[in-house]
Formats: sequence, structure tokens, C-alpha cells
Amino acid sequence: MSHVLEIRNLTKKFGDFIAVDNMTLNIGEGEIFGFLGANGAGKSTTINMIASLLRPTKGEIVLLGKNIVKDSKFAKMNTGIVPQELAIYEDMTAYENVSFFAGLYGLRGAMLRERTEEALAFVGLGDKHQSFPKNFSGGMKRRLNIACAIAHLPKLIIMDEPTVGIDPQSRNYILQSVRKLNEMGCTIIYTSHYMEEVEEICTRIAIVDHGKIIAEGTKEQLTSIITDTKEIWIGFRADGAISIESLQGIAGVTAVRQEENTLKIVSKSEVNNLNRIIQQLIKDQVEIRSVEEQAPNLESVFLTLTGRNLRD
Amino acid sequence: MAIWRIALKEILSSVRNRQTFLFMLALPIILMLILGAGLSNAFSSKHSVGEVRLLYQATFSENDMSAYWDSFTKAIGKEGVEVVPIRPGMDWRQEVSSGRYTAYATIDKEGIAFFGSSKNTVESGILQGMLVAFADRYALGTAAFQASPGVGTNILKHAAESKDFIQETTLAAVRKPGSIDYYAVSMTTMIALFSIISANYLFGAERARKTAIRLMAAPISKGEILVGKMIGNVFINTLCVLVVVLFSKFVYHAYWGNHFWLVLLALLTEVLLAVSLGLGIGFLLTKQEGSYMVVMIFLQCASFFGGAYFPIENTEGILTLLTNLSPLRWINTALLELIYMDNIAAVWKVIGLNLGIAAVFLVLTVISIRRREAF
Ligand SMILES: Nc1ncnc2c1ncn2[C@@H]1O[C@H](COP(=O)(O)OP(=O)(O)OP(=O)(O)O)[C@@H](O)[C@H]1O
Ligand SMILES: [Mg+2]
Repeated sequence: MSHVLEIRNLTKKFGDFIAVDNMTLNIGEGEIFGFLGANGAGKSTTINMIASLLRPTKGEIVLLGKNIVKDSKFAKMNTGIVPQELAIYEDMTAYENVSFFAGLYGLRGAMLRERTEEALAFVGLGDKHQSFPKNFSGGMKRRLNIACAIAHLPKLIIMDEPTVGIDPQSRNYILQSVRKLNEMGCTIIYTSHYMEEVEEICTRIAIVDHGKIIAEGTKEQLTSIITDTKEIWIGFRADGAISIESLQGIAGVTAVRQEENTLKIVSKSEVNNLNRIIQQLIKDQVEIRSVEEQAPNLESVFLTLTGRNLRD
Repeated sequence: MAIWRIALKEILSSVRNRQTFLFMLALPIILMLILGAGLSNAFSSKHSVGEVRLLYQATFSENDMSAYWDSFTKAIGKEGVEVVPIRPGMDWRQEVSSGRYTAYATIDKEGIAFFGSSKNTVESGILQGMLVAFADRYALGTAAFQASPGVGTNILKHAAESKDFIQETTLAAVRKPGSIDYYAVSMTTMIALFSIISANYLFGAERARKTAIRLMAAPISKGEILVGKMIGNVFINTLCVLVVVLFSKFVYHAYWGNHFWLVLLALLTEVLLAVSLGLGIGFLLTKQEGSYMVVMIFLQCASFFGGAYFPIENTEGILTLLTNLSPLRWINTALLELIYMDNIAAVWKVIGLNLGIAAVFLVLTVISIRRREAF
């Protein structure tokens, strides 16, 4: 597998603050590479350096064998970025938006028209050429945001949380498009706060914390890191708050999270503490509906490694 | 190629922006009409005749001449002009520039030399007209000068140079702007300066919409982006100025003089000045609100002191300084002198000044762009 992207000892400082800390990473051709990290972990900063938007403080980035600072034009031609925040002109139509940005990559004439139409059709906006984004739903804007980054057919597409704040239908559409782009030969870097998304589409995943990659590999490789951990899901009837603190005090429990009607408890697998947990819940007058033990998943890996929740 | 795409995109979004039309077209056209009608009295020549005072020095070799002069001064005295011979020890420059006298004239067998106050241009224009008429009748050469320190314009130079002792002068040289003529000029130069607003937001808008990210990620240089955006912005602002000028000329019948192309060139350089100023401020103060405040305060002051809303004359001290700091002051004065006195040199000077200042702010912008990582 040849490397599309090589990152070597990459560091970025903002003043004294180290946002990216001596990161080294290779991404192979045809990968969908996921960056997982909590808020402020340094995902966007890394991505922005890859897209030539920020200058590295130290280290180097090599794209398709060429240093992106020295061969800046080449690197830019072969990269497409979907920024974390919407980056589109509200006063220009969907077509004009895509066509304008694609035009900056040297496309013109019939070729430009063709690629623009393709990109819009690709994200499912084929019938919205003449509409203005101000009349779009959040999901449609996100899709236009993607179309603007792919019309020039880059080798590497960088997506910084492309599914933030949109309806499930648009999200599925976007995930499908990511897969399709990948099948067409694009290498993709994908960041998200949504564990399920990353689990679903990424071929390889890096967990980023405080500017460092603390674990990296396929989903299976990552989950095998924490064989000594189990996750217990307890369904309950939702009335009143649940005292998470009292559960955290139980021996073996490393993390507790409440998601609607489910308590997700990460615990050391060698400690048998299910009885204590259930006793505590009964004492707190929680009405238990179900109890199941989960195999370790990415979420528990993340929780164990970083001690943080992926989402605030 | 990318430059033209960016310029076109800029033009497209300006055309779609209602504010462009409100600010750059409707505002000046309506203000011209309102101010032109409302303040028309201020422009009638009646208002100042009572306050006109002429200081003079006369040396006559022939008695005839002296008699003519006496009858002339009597005649204009009836019109309300006070005519006073200079006394020994009086400094005429001081008298005129302080405003105690409207003008100073010397009369001898060589002809008449006239030094008018640049502060009271209407009054000194009237006096000059009277003296020209007198000189015409009595076959004297005349020369007229603005007496403001530093600015000396030889309005009727060709008359003085004339080999023929009897010179031809026309009263057209002292044609005065009517109110609509004045506001056609002052409103046009004002909105040309308003180009600062849109130029100031050229990059702020990209930052706010995050599209700056895409521009930075594209394989084009920062220079191409800057030039493309500038071309688009200058084009659209110049177009607005042109529409306003043509509207005032053909609908309001404002007088734009005999050097129309030169007027347009001066206005173009003013737009360039404004655009570079706006860009420069936008990069020096990247906080959009702060930048906008500075621009709006500057524009209001420049418009007021530059005479956009009413002509500012007879200023003293700090007020003189403020009026002279307003680009509109230089431009309006030069354009009025061009239109009404055919003073071409004054306009070229202002064109040079505009381009010079524009260049300074462009250089500042370029330095600032090169320094920062993003826009
Ligand atoms: N231009 C900047 N100046 C100073 N600090 C910055 C700058 N950009 C980012 N940071 C800091 O660097 C750290 C990493 O930020 P980054 O945006 O890369 O995080 P992220 O992983 O993308 O987070 P999120 O999930 O919230 O998008 C944060 O603490 C942030 O405050
Ligand atoms: Mg981010």
C-alpha cells in the first residue's frame, strides 16, 4: 500500500500553547481515515495544516511524495477540504458556488460545467442548481459544502465534521457519498464527534488527545487494546435524576455515562461488580428494565484511553 | 484566469446586494435633489455683495485714468462694495488672508493685478468680475491671483501675457456653480469615497462566511486574490460613480465643464484611493466592528468637512486643518476649479495625490497579507 499522505513530527504552536504535538502518521491510498478526538483535541489544526491553511511550526507533511510547503500548488491541486463550518456564498446559487471554487483549480469551459453538474448531482442537489443556499435546510447546506470541495476531483479529501447538526436522512446521504468517493479512488480523512459514523465508514482510526495520537489502527485493533474492560448497559424507567457519583465509587468502575434511558458503565472485566451496581441502583430507587453486557467498542476504548467523553 | 473569476464573482455579489444600490446610487441622486433645492439660496450672488471690501493701490501717470478709476469705485460703491486705498504699513496679504478685505488690487499703467481671497471665493469672484469689466473698458491688462498662502493660481494669465495691451477677457471665467451644480460634484465625490465601505468588507466578508478557507486552500496566490477582488470592487464602484455623474448631467442638467474626461479620471483615482484605504483599514483593524466604526466615522467627518453637505468657507484654526485633511476637500476644490476656471494643473495635482496615498495603503495591505497565515 503506497502512502498518499505522510506526516512526520508535525507540531503546531499558537503562542505557547501546543495544539498539535509531534504527530507522526501515514495514510495509505484508498483509506477512509478517521480522526477521533474531544473538543480542542487538535483535529482541525492538524487538518488545516494538511490543507495548507496553517503553517506547521515544526515537522513536515508529504502528499503523494511531495512536500506540501515546497510544492504548495501541487498539494493544493490534489486536496479538497470540507471545512468544519459552512463555507459557501449565500448570495450565489448552488451552481455558482461550486463552479466558482472549481474554477479556481483551473477548470474552465465545458469541463467546468460538467464537473460542477456532477458534483451537485453527487451530493443530491442536481435539481437545485439555481437555488440560493439561504433557502436550503442545514443538511442541504452541508451537502453543498461538500460539493464545493470535490468538483476538481482531488486525490485527498479532508472532511472536518461534515455531519454536524443535520437530520439523519442527510447524514446517511453524506456517509453514502463518502463511501462512493472512496470507491472512486479518493483517499479520505474524516473527523467526527459521532462514534457510530467513524465505526461505520472508517478503515483506520486515530484517537487524538491533547494534540497527540494516543492510539491508531483498525476498529478491531483498537478494541483489542482494552480486553480487560467490559461495558454494562442498564435500561431504566426515566423519572428523576440518577446519582452517577455513587456508581463511580464502586470498585472496578472506570466510567459512567447516562444516555437517555440507558446507563453505560465501563468497568474492569476482572472485577465482578454487577451485583453491587444493581444494589446501588435499587437503593437509589431506580426502576431497572434491562441489563446487558457489551463487548468493548470504540466508545469504551476512547473513554478508557482519554478519560473523556467524545462529546461535551 | 483566477483573477478574473474572482473579479467577476465580486461584481456579481455587489450587483445582487441591495445595499450597493441604496448607498451608491439612490442616496447621492436623492441628496443632490434635496440639498440642491433646499440650499439654493446660499448660492445666489446677492448674499455677499454688502460684505465685499476691496483694498487697492493705484499709481496713475495720467489724470484721465485716475478719473476713470474714481468713477469706477463710485459705481461699485453703489453696489455695496467698500473700496479702500492701502495705507503705508499695511500688509495686504495679512489683510486679505485674515478676511478683513475680500481682495487686493494694484492698478498702474501696466494693468491691473488682482489678488482674491481663497476663503471668500464667491465675493472675490464678484470683485474680480467687476475689475475685469473695468479693465476691458479702459484697456488695461488684468491678472488675478488667489491670495491664500501657498496656493497661487494665475486665473487670467493669458490676459497678462497678451502682447496686445488690450486684452480679451470673458466673464465665463468667473462663472459660479448653482446649487445643483455644486451638489452634483460634492455628492459624486462623496459616494466615490463611500467605496471605502465595500472595500473595507472585501476580506471581512470572506472571513465571516469562512469562504476565506476555500480561497486559501485553492492553488492560487494571495496576490491573485487581492488583485481580483480589487478589480471587481473598483469596477463596480466606478460604475456607480459614472451612473451618478451621468444622471446629474443629463437629468438634473448639472454643469460638468469642458474637461469631462479629466473629471472622470479624477473620480476614478478617487475610487482607487478609497478602495485602498478601505482595504488597508480592513487589514490593520481585523475586528470587523471596529473596522466598520472607524470607516463610518472617517466618512462622516470627511464628508462634513470636505463640503459634501454645504460648502465650507471662512474656516479658521483647527477647522481649517480638519477641512484640509478631508480628501473630499482637495477633490471638490480641484474639480470646481477645473469646471469653472479651467484649472487643469490643480486636478493633476490631486490625481497624483490620490494615486500616491492609494499606493501607500496598498503597500501596507500587501505587507499585512504576507505576514499573516490566513486572511
Ligand atoms: N488560531 C488559534 N489560536 C490559538 N489557539 C488556537 C487556534 N486554533 C485552535 N486553537 C486551539 O488549539 C486547540 C485545538 O483546536 P482544534 O480546533 O484543532 O480542535 P478540534 O479537535 O478540531 O476541536 P473541535 O472538535 O471542537 O473542532 C484548541 O484548544 C484551540 O483552542
Ligand atoms: Mg475541529
